[in-house]
Amino acid sequence: MTAALRYILRRVFLLLVTMLLVSLLTYLAFELVSGDPARTMLGTEATEEQVQALRHEMRLDRPFTERYFRWLGGFFSGDLGISYSYRQPVWGLISGKLELTLLLSLISFVLITVISIPLGVFSYRFTGTFAGWPRTVLNQLCMALPPFFTGILVSWGFGIVLKVFTPGDFPGLRNDFSGSLRHLFFGAVCLSIPRIAMTVRMMRATVISEMNKAYVRTAISRGNDRAAVLTRHVLKNSLVSVVTFLGQTLAELVGAGIVVEQVLGIPGLGRFLVTSISHRDYPVVSAIVVILAFWVVLAGTAADLISQGIDPRLRLSTGRRRIGGAA
Amino acid sequence: MKKTILALTLVLALLLAGCGGAPAATPAPSATPAPSAAPSEAPAGNAAETAPEADEATAAASPRAAANEISIGIAQDFDSLDPDYMTAAGTKEVLFNVFEGLVKPNSDGDIVPAVASEVVKSEDGLNYMFTLRDGVKFHNGDPVEMEDVLYSVERRWKGEDTAAQLAALSVIDSLSADGNVLTITLSEPSNEFLAAVMNAYILPADYDKQETSPVGTGPYRFVSRTVQDSLVLERFPDYWGTPGRLDKVTFKILESADGLVLGLQSGALDLVAHLSSDQTVQLDQDEFNIAEGSMNLVQALYLNNAEKPFDDVRVRQALCWAVDKQAVIDLAFDGYGIPLGTSMFPSFSKYYDESLTDYYTPDPEKAKALLAEAGYPDGFEMTITVPSNYTPHVNTATVLVELLREVGVKATVQPVDWGTWLEEVYSNRKFQSTVTGLTSDNLTARKLLERFGTEVSNNFTNYSNEEYDEILAKALRTADDAEQTELYRQLERNLTENAANVYLQDMADLVAVRKGLDGLTFYPLYVLDVSTLGWTA
Repeated sequence: MTAALRYILRRVFLLLVTMLLVSLLTYLAFELVSGDPARTMLGTEATEEQVQALRHEMRLDRPFTERYFRWLGGFFSGDLGISYSYRQPVWGLISGKLELTLLLSLISFVLITVISIPLGVFSYRFTGTFAGWPRTVLNQLCMALPPFFTGILVSWGFGIVLKVFTPGDFPGLRNDFSGSLRHLFFGAVCLSIPRIAMTVRMMRATVISEMNKAYVRTAISRGNDRAAVLTRHVLKNSLVSVVTFLGQTLAELVGAGIVVEQVLGIPGLGRFLVTSISHRDYPVVSAIVVILAFWVVLAGTAADLISQGIDPRLRLSTGRRRIGGAA
Repeated sequence: MKKTILALTLVLALLLAGCGGAPAATPAPSATPAPSAAPSEAPAGNAAETAPEADEATAAASPRAAANEISIGIAQDFDSLDPDYMTAAGTKEVLFNVFEGLVKPNSDGDIVPAVASEVVKSEDGLNYMFTLRDGVKFHNGDPVEMEDVLYSVERRWKGEDTAAQLAALSVIDSLSADGNVLTITLSEPSNEFLAAVMNAYILPADYDKQETSPVGTGPYRFVSRTVQDSLVLERFPDYWGTPGRLDKVTFKILESADGLVLGLQSGALDLVAHLSSDQTVQLDQDEFNIAEGSMNLVQALYLNNAEKPFDDVRVRQALCWAVDKQAVIDLAFDGYGIPLGTSMFPSFSKYYDESLTDYYTPDPEKAKALLAEAGYPDGFEMTITVPSNYTPHVNTATVLVELLREVGVKATVQPVDWGTWLEEVYSNRKFQSTVTGLTSDNLTARKLLERFGTEVSNNFTNYSNEEYDEILAKALRTADDAEQTELYRQLERNLTENAANVYLQDMADLVAVRKGLDGLTFYPLYVLDVSTLGWTA
């Protein structure tokens, strides 16, 4: 068995275990919190008899293990179940939202990567100079900006004043693709600002610490140009930790989009998750959570593979050292 | 001076609370009361009109004006569209335009014929004869037949699906059809029967796709729905009554309070109901009219009467003396709202006893004296459990904490999510106190008063008063309207005198309407009638 194959198998195994654990935890969590889906559905005026009848119909009167394994069985045969509150198949409800959330996350991710890596290196140049001072303040400010606030600012600025997009009126990918992309782009801007700030800071710190290392001193003392050393050696070495961080960011973005989705009116997965939790709509919540878990592991794997591409040392100890590290 | 400091503290507290970034929702109680009333005793809807006049057809009018359509923002998603499973008040509010019963409510709170053209009640009150209206069509084009009517009423009365049954229809003894006349025989006379019939929507017999494409007989028909995004309705051209004015109505779901305001400002939305005063002040007065109605609910600090120290009437009265309702309205609602003193609001003018509102005037000294008498000279600690998604209730609780501090009561606010509130507070009654609004999608006073009877299953406050139970039993037994009204008024007084709860207000319903749009009609029910809305030419 080759190293690559072993690596893939290991990853797939990790993926399965993670999803299984996450789904079990979701079921357990609902078991522990108060709130009965049947009662939530029927509202304040339902009689006890009606609540019990609905509980029976929804199989909520069955033991926990039976419900969980039934769900698991359904999941592996491609049946995500029926939503409690909408009384429709779960997959039909979430598929359209999944693509929006993924698109939103990917646009944010591209923005973060394209902007923060050059900016991080650039900001290293100002270290210790007077110009570095406003940069630090700006960076701190951006990191502290909560997305709901940037969401309001961006909606107001670009939506109401400049009218580049219409907050609250998401056109839908099928109806107006470019309009939808524009809408998502502004959502992605709100989402990426604090993360760009974080990545820049991290990039800069790594570059500084690399620049102080012996090999850089040696390279420069051998007459190499400082800038050339930076791009040829330092950057490459710094990227490893940044890529790991970006992998985490990619995983986080899906969840972080909730507030932006709400403020800008993007019908994504995050909003749906929040609503479904408060409705105690277990089938929907379980499905979304498992999809998110899948996404997180996938992002970790991608980061891992890229890191290995950049740094051959990691390749030698495949799997053993890095596994799960990025997830 | 002291008041100013108090006010400042509260404003600060509210600001901080607002920063929590919780997905704010306008108060759309997920309650589902089944309305009930006889046509004769309908409350005069004093909130029934208030249509914002469109002074000019502004140039800034919505782009949708030309297409004769509008877009309405709502703060929560719809639940099931199947009328049998529709429980969220926000869903019923909108689907009111799609479904109709044999009878339906009008904006004055009267019950008027709908799918039936005439309703005759027998002398003894046991038989109701409904004559089917000629030419009523379902949205799918089929005519409404007696078979459909029997099917529709029967399933809500004693259908196999228990969850879909309407408790208020259980007084039915039998149904019989003769030509186009449906006779419903009751086992005992009931003043609330017609209102229950109102909620048994007429649906095509054996049509099983209500969930995904609902079919009714109302002025608007269903076009499409995207979960957590939007619902589209269009005018039903074959409607039997006054047709709707707009061709198409889109409901957009935006849970975030800021999102709704941004949607109005950006032109994405033309109308949003149930706004808070701080949302409306952000809107440009040249672009929007703000119509003020009332929510028709009783907002109160509901006390668990079985729990110490609220099992002592003196403690409850002390809280009533301590709480300045107007201060709550001013500080948490910018002055919008009607103070209440009992479990009844002004829309039910016949039953509403205004003199009870000022039964307790703010008097901290009296409150302290009563507390000392009850054995709490130094006050006590209490918890106010609130559903966190209803910002107005959370804000109210925050103000109450400050007001109660003045008499030495240390209250803390415990926000819980709606599901937990429903389970712990409402069903299991495991709470000390809570702020919520009890609704009345009910055209009689019954739902508001019946729930305080000792043995009643939804008496979540555990109020127990012998005199109250006696009057209540008498009131429910009598078929005489005048007598029943008098008994209901006695019940209200009983609740106030025994300080069952700290009654606060009937919350204002602020609706932002884009200029150029008129015909907004308030009902004494939680419904949004889009058929009267239209753009002025």
